[in-house]
Formats: sequence, C-alpha cells, structure tokens
Amino acid sequence: MNYFPDEVIEHVFDFVVSHKDRNSISLVCKSWHKIERFSRKEVFIGNCYAINPERLIGRFPCLKSLTLKGKPHFADFNLVPHEWGGFVLPWIEALARSRVGLEELRLKRMVVTDESLELLSRSFANFKSLVLVSCEGFTTDGLASIATNCRHLRELDLQENEIDDHRGQWLNCFPDSCTTLISLNFACLKGETNVAALERLVARSPNLKSLKLNRAVPLDALARLMSCAPQLVDLGVGSYENEPDPESFAKLMTAIEKCISLRSLSGFLEVAPLCLPAFYPICQNLISLNLSYAAEIQGNHLIKLIQLCKRLQRLWILDSIGDKGLVVVADTCKELQELRVFPSDVHGEEDNIAAVTEVGLVAISAGCPKLHSILYFCKQMTNAALIAVAKNCPNFIRFRLCILEPHKPDHITSQSLDEGFGAIVQACKGLRRLSVSGLLTDQVFLYIGMYAEQLEMLSIAFAGDTDKGMLYVLNGCKKMRKLEIRDSPFGNAALLADVGRYETMRSLWMSSCEVTLGGCKRLAQNSPRLNVEIINENENNRMEQNEEDEGEKVDKLYLYRTVVGTRKDAPPYVRIL
Amino acid sequence: MDVSNSCSSFSSSSVDSTKPSPSESSVNLSLSLTFPSTSPQREARQDWPPITSRLRDTLKGRRLIRRGNDTSLFVKVYMEGVPIGRKLDLCAFSGYESLLENLSHMFDTSIICGNRDRKHHVLTYEDKDGDWMMVGDIPWDMFLETVRRLKITRPERY
Repeated sequence: MNYFPDEVIEHVFDFVVSHKDRNSISLVCKSWHKIERFSRKEVFIGNCYAINPERLIGRFPCLKSLTLKGKPHFADFNLVPHEWGGFVLPWIEALARSRVGLEELRLKRMVVTDESLELLSRSFANFKSLVLVSCEGFTTDGLASIATNCRHLRELDLQENEIDDHRGQWLNCFPDSCTTLISLNFACLKGETNVAALERLVARSPNLKSLKLNRAVPLDALARLMSCAPQLVDLGVGSYENEPDPESFAKLMTAIEKCISLRSLSGFLEVAPLCLPAFYPICQNLISLNLSYAAEIQGNHLIKLIQLCKRLQRLWILDSIGDKGLVVVADTCKELQELRVFPSDVHGEEDNIAAVTEVGLVAISAGCPKLHSILYFCKQMTNAALIAVAKNCPNFIRFRLCILEPHKPDHITSQSLDEGFGAIVQACKGLRRLSVSGLLTDQVFLYIGMYAEQLEMLSIAFAGDTDKGMLYVLNGCKKMRKLEIRDSPFGNAALLADVGRYETMRSLWMSSCEVTLGGCKRLAQNSPRLNVEIINENENNRMEQNEEDEGEKVDKLYLYRTVVGTRKDAPPYVRIL
Repeated sequence: MDVSNSCSSFSSSSVDSTKPSPSESSVNLSLSLTFPSTSPQREARQDWPPITSRLRDTLKGRRLIRRGNDTSLFVKVYMEGVPIGRKLDLCAFSGYESLLENLSHMFDTSIICGNRDRKHHVLTYEDKDGDWMMVGDIPWDMFLETVRRLKITRPERY
C-alpha cells in the first residue's frame, strides 16, 4: 500500500466509515496515521471528559461532524445532579476559534446554553445538522438563533430535551429563503407553537422527510401539514384530545391516505382513541411505531392499530397493550427486530393485575424470529420463561429486562432468576448489552462472566450478594466498556481487584453500593489516566478534609478513563480524587 | 430520599416479596374503612423504575386507569375549608345527577350544580387548562375528558 500516493490511500480510506475501523487503520503505521487524520470527517467522542477540544482539533483538523456524549447513562433516571457537567460551550468555542468547517453536531446528555447555540449558529457557515438528545440548559431563544443564522440547515432534531419554552416565535425565525429542511423534530417542546409559521415552513420545504410535532399542534393543523408534505417518511403526531367532528376527521383521513411514503409514526401525546382509525390506511407501510407516550389509549385500540402493521420492524409501546396485545404483535409483526414495552403504572396505583407478564415475552420470542433488541418492563417473571425466550431467540444483541419490584423472585418457584438470565447469556452469543433485574445472587454474574463474551454494556440494580459477583463480571467480560451498578452489595475488594482494567473501559458507575471513600482514594492513587469522581449531594455528609472518615460509604462513584486529567468544571459536590 | 412501604424489602434478598408486608396491609385496611375510594398514599421515587423524566411526567398526568376490565378516572375532591380531600372515580357515575347525589352523601351536605346560591354548596372543577369552572355546563362525556379535580365551594363565597 505504501507504493501508492497518499491521495489513492485516502480514497480507499473513504470507504471505511465505522469509527472503530478508522481507529484501527490509524494504528497501522505513521504514514497511515497521518493520512487518516487529515481525511477523518466524522468523530465520535463517547465521553466528553476523556479528551479536550484542543487535542481533538489538533488531531482531526478537517472534521465536519462531531458527536459528543456527556453525563453517564444513569443521568436519565435522575441519579446525576443537574450541574454535574457536560458543558458544550468550550467545545464550540474551540471549534469556532480554530475555524473548523463544522457541519454537524450531535450531542447526548450535555448541557447546552442559548449562548452556545448562538455561537454555533454564527461560527460555521456550512452548518447543516443539529441533533440534541437528552440535553438541557437552553430555551427556545437558542433555537431562534439556529433558525435565523444557519442558512443551510437541513436537520434540527430535538429528542427528549429539557427546553425552557419561552413561547417565542422561533419558528418564525426561519427566513423565507430557508427551503433546505429535511428533518424537524420539536416534539419535546412544552409550549404553544406558531402553527401558521410552521405551515409556511413546511410548505416551502420540499425535501422534508421527517416532521415531529409537539402537543400544541391540533388536529386540523395536522391535516393541513400532511397535505402539503405528502412526501413525509417519518411523522410525530402532536395531540388531539377531543373527539373530532366528522368533517375534520374526513380531512385528516384524506391527507393521511396521500402519505404513501410514511414509514415511521410516533407521538400521540394525548389522543382521543377515535382519531386512530384515520391512520389505518398507512399502517401496512409502517416499519417503526412509537406509542410509548400515548398514555390515554387503552389496549384494545392499540391492538386494532397494530393488527394492520404487518411490516413493523420497531415497536415502542406501553404495557397497557397487555399480554393479549403482545400475542397479537407476535402473530402480526413477523419482521419485528426491536421491541420496547414501557410501564404505565409507576406509582403502583393499579390493582395487582399485571399489564404484561412473562407470557407476553415468551409469545413475542416465539412469534418474531428476527427479534434482536428488547427492553421489557414487567411486574413478574419466571426462569422457565427466560429459558424459553433464550431458546427461541438466540440472536439477541440487546436484552434489557426490568422487573418493577426490586429483588422479586420467580413468581412461581420463588427462586432467584439466576438460571433464567444464565440461559440468555449462554444462548445469545452475540449479546452486547444486558440489563438484569429481579432476585439475583452472585451466580448470575458467574454465568455472565463465563458466557457473555461480546458484552459491552451491563446494567445492574438491586442484585448480587458479595464482591465475587462484580469480580466475575470484570474478570470474564473482556469487551466490557460501560458498567453501571446501583443498590448492590459490591465493595472495595471488587473495586480494587484489577485497577488497570478500568483503562480498557469507557466508564464505571456505582451508586448506593458498599465502596468506601478509602477504597476510592486507593483506586485513584496510582491511576493518572482515570478520573475518580465522588458525587455527594448531601450537605450534611460533606466533612472537612481533616475530619474525613475513610470508612464512610460513597453515595455515587463515577470513574472514567481520560487522557487529559482532572476536569476543572466540576461543581462543589463533586470531588475528583 | 423517601422510600415507600412497598420498597422496604430492599435489604432482604430472599423474602417472597409478592405479598404485601404486614404493616402495608393494615395501612390499606384502615384507610379503606375511613376513605372508601382512596388509594393508599405512596411516595413516588424519582429514580426507579428506570424511565426518563419525560415519560414519568406523561404517566403522572394520566388519568384513566385500568382496573380489571373497566377503566377508572380518579379525581381529587376537596370541600373548601377542609384540608383532607377525597378521591372519586368519575367513571362510576352515569352523569351529573348521580355525581351530585353521591357527593352530597359523601360530604353530608347539599351540593348543587349551576346557579350560585347563598344556601347551598356549589360544585366546581378545574379543567385541563387550569381554569376553575362551574360543573354542569358541558355534556358529561366532555366533562370527563377535561376535568382534573373537583372543589365544593362554601355557600357564602358567592
């Protein structure tokens, strides 16, 4: 290969797209490292504190697309305080200073401010795509800057963010000359929407393929929007609470019938069930359906809709569909690859009549041969069911089971669920992500360490008996990248057994476990390439340096590998050892 | 953070946690004697089950609840001046008449809809926009879709 001029090698590298592969290429020799560096267009940074912007730009000066992730995964469940970190501003400032030709920015669990959005919108003339997932810290004013200044904007995708809605006119800020939009998602905005401005924007965006509305967009507006965008592939419906009058319903049906390219449907934030039939005509084309926010629709309405979706590959739904509904899914959706069933009763208000049980899970596993990813919340499970699921579906890549009541055993035998999960890891040789729950002893971790050779991410809650459990995992799962543990009896012995191991992983999270301050200090002592963070929000627990009790248990521990040392932006309740 | 009764079995790993603990069932019993239609108060954990805040908030706002083959629509009812409220399943009533009858019985006083009256308590409700309205103006089905909670006002208010 070295006999070819650099341009030829670079051209070959263009075909190598995955980050892992490109990272491998750059390790081959100095010459390849150099060529790869200057031709890398997309960079993925899984932990924004593992590296800093200066080094990123130094190595990849020609980058066009950057993906950054901030807070650890458990931040999604309120386990990480808001001001913990993950600020994007320094990154945008550095990129702007260095005149990087940024075109795309994808952020997950980061703190974004209006100031950063304003700077972003003014600094990169060719900026095309902004995707924010589970971020916070900004308002619709920030969105207004993006709309106003990004002349070539193609994608504005806001997923699950906490946005302060100033009820401003951000949609009005898209200039009349803006006709390049391909994707617009503002479903998570809580306030009112200027529907007229939205309609004008959609009307002048012939390339619009994905549109996801928030709850403020009413039924009649939906019909008009769909009429001027029949080319839509992906639609997020807002809400419509009252039963529609026959005329509005007819208009909606007519508009929907024309959307023959529609493949993905979501939203339905507050929906009167009688509006659903308007969507029946396009159900046969759908490959993705997300009804996980449709809290008011009961099982029988959901079933009627799903019965028509024979091509479905991805389904996100609430457990109000019931076992009965899952049997219908198993019979209907033979192409199903990914299923997520979320809990609808989180406050335990309903009778012990379980919405979905092991019966639904087994039915799905038996009926859907292509299933490879599942997230399943339920109130009860059995080993027999899990063993059956493992036998039916050895192709799982992601298997996440959350039994709502911690420590709950097999509801028929009253035994732990070790054997059930053991069967899953033994059968599913390609398993990359696993979440376990229910009553579990160290035994399940022995199985995981023994069989889950491809496992990259493991989530543990209320499980295990002794340090041995965690050790089985750390010793066995060589490909582990992210380990997150809460409310489990693992302590210093497990934490400190193989400190070098943590540099082969992205991060470790342990909260409400048995690790102590002393243990964490020992861990941090000889690990310059690890940041060991102790998060302690309780004011009363914070003692002076000289009064410290090394035997005191640590509330939350988050450690991650890094090449840039301790971060300087941590709040006072985060202590970096 | 506060943990509800049902989570008290965290520390013991081999208890059959399918049955409610003894203290929980006696709380249920005493509550059901004094407040027939109240569900036991449970502190909601913000970090379990592991779902996002957005989904948690959506479900909190959910009013229709499955119970067996029926649905219930539980709303809180307060009598002005009385700090402890009641909870009522509106799906159990066929219309305004049976609602008023039941409420009058529950609070042991005469309650009416509609016209202000210096003698009687008047029933009002909070709609989905957060506004307080007089009960009885709109059709019963529409009322069910929009009502968030009820308040029985004192006669001299008006």
